[in-house]
Amino acid sequence: MKNELIFLRELIKLNLASAMEYRASFISQIVGMFINNGIYFIFWFIFFDKFGSVRGYEIGDIYLLFGIVALGYGLAYMFAANTGPNLAYLIAQGRLDYYLVLPRRLLPHVIFSRMSVSTIGDVTFGLMAYLFTGRFHPIDITLFLITAVLAALVLVGFSIINGSLAFFLGNAQQLSQQANGAIVTFALYPHTLFTGWARLFLFTLIPAGFVGGVPVEVVNGRDPILLLGLVLVVIAIWSLATAVFYFGLRRYESGSAINVNV
Amino acid sequence: MSKLQTLALKYGAITAINLQNQLAYVWDAFHRAFFIVVVMFIFAQLWTAVFQAQGVTVINGLTLANTIWYFLIAEMIEMGKFRHDLTISEEVKDGSIAYTLVRPYNYLAYHFFNGLGETAVKMIVLFVTGSLVCYYYAGPPTAQLVHLPAVLLALILAILLDFCFLSMIGLLAFVTEDTGSFRLIYQKLIFILGGLLIPIDFLPDWLQTIARALPFAAITYTPAKLFVAFSWTEFGQLLTGQLVWLALAGGLLYAQYRWAVRRLVVNGG
Repeated sequence: MKNELIFLRELIKLNLASAMEYRASFISQIVGMFINNGIYFIFWFIFFDKFGSVRGYEIGDIYLLFGIVALGYGLAYMFAANTGPNLAYLIAQGRLDYYLVLPRRLLPHVIFSRMSVSTIGDVTFGLMAYLFTGRFHPIDITLFLITAVLAALVLVGFSIINGSLAFFLGNAQQLSQQANGAIVTFALYPHTLFTGWARLFLFTLIPAGFVGGVPVEVVNGRDPILLLGLVLVVIAIWSLATAVFYFGLRRYESGSAINVNV
Repeated sequence: MSKLQTLALKYGAITAINLQNQLAYVWDAFHRAFFIVVVMFIFAQLWTAVFQAQGVTVINGLTLANTIWYFLIAEMIEMGKFRHDLTISEEVKDGSIAYTLVRPYNYLAYHFFNGLGETAVKMIVLFVTGSLVCYYYAGPPTAQLVHLPAVLLALILAILLDFCFLSMIGLLAFVTEDTGSFRLIYQKLIFILGGLLIPIDFLPDWLQTIARALPFAAITYTPAKLFVAFSWTEFGQLLTGQLVWLALAGGLLYAQYRWAVRRLVVNGG
């Protein structure tokens, strides 16, 4: 286990060094993502300034929601960007061969082999958004960081599942991309907006509620039971993700292609 | 055959070819349009909650149904427009612009008419797909058939204006390697000042004044607003705004294009 962790640490260091090789592009991607998130922030600021509150959500809750989702999203794909559509691509193109022949655990090796540079902008933005909430009690800060990590784990688990669909469907890149787009889009809106079947949908098929809504409730209510529930959900999603990936792997067909990974 | 007819035939053929290409993969376009269902569903929920919370049927001249249909048109324009700036900047960076410039057509006109075929298919698909959600939550649109040609004219002018701005961004590749950040900033300005995330009528007064004075509203807000709440007076005002910005942006693009062509250095043979 210790060896695995050391290996992953080295893998991440290598990804970061390779991304920083192109310094201008590295910085512009981070700044770009910061602007991207900032504009939604401005929208909510204008929105709540005019309309006050919506279904129990006020501007402070939105700051918290953005903080958790942006930090969670950033952490997820800063480390594990070889998930979702990228994973679907590797599977469909038979490019898992490269990883299969190496003496490392397959799933962590694959998913941590790519870093999304722009997500550093998300991480920074998430932390800055949290500053706007004005919650500086150590308990709140701790809960914010824990829930953001749990949100990241939900996102990565979900991305492994939808990326692994390529084992069964062949080309699942677009489907995976849409699923990932949908979970983040839904997560960034107050979950109280959605009722009935839509709510059920957001806590099952596209588990956006566990990325945004529930973490916000945990921090707002300092609710240990809900936090425990969120941990259990993460375990369930990761168990499912691992099962789907390794079950799908049995159907994997080698690409017999000569690949050079640089 | 007059020169005008020849031009119409040439550029019409470019549009038709791209249209055929797009139609060959029309089901792919429907799959891609899935995202508009997600977006329209969220907007419908959000704005229904707002109207309920405010306890009103009209906010700044727009009903809930107007608001939902407004977002469909705004999103259709944003998601359906062509992004030729990427192609231009790639052609500048890899030098292939030297070959495309000598072809028997105007370089910018080629990109416009080529993109027109693509955007027509994309927008129709987005409108049809998104309409299902809008119809479910807001009923049929209130737009009258007699006003549609005017709305269509505003839409074409919006596409043309957006084309000018994106072309200018693409041609910036002559001076800067990465034009992506300019495109991102332009896109985000449209999100707020163009009325994509919130109708300009709902912005605070001071911001409304700024937004109405800038060109971004002419791209997204103008066609969307005219579709849901048409009046000939507003049509006149908004169309004038579009034409003024089009003249300015077109002039700037022309000057930038001439400058760029002069800067082009071709080595070898």
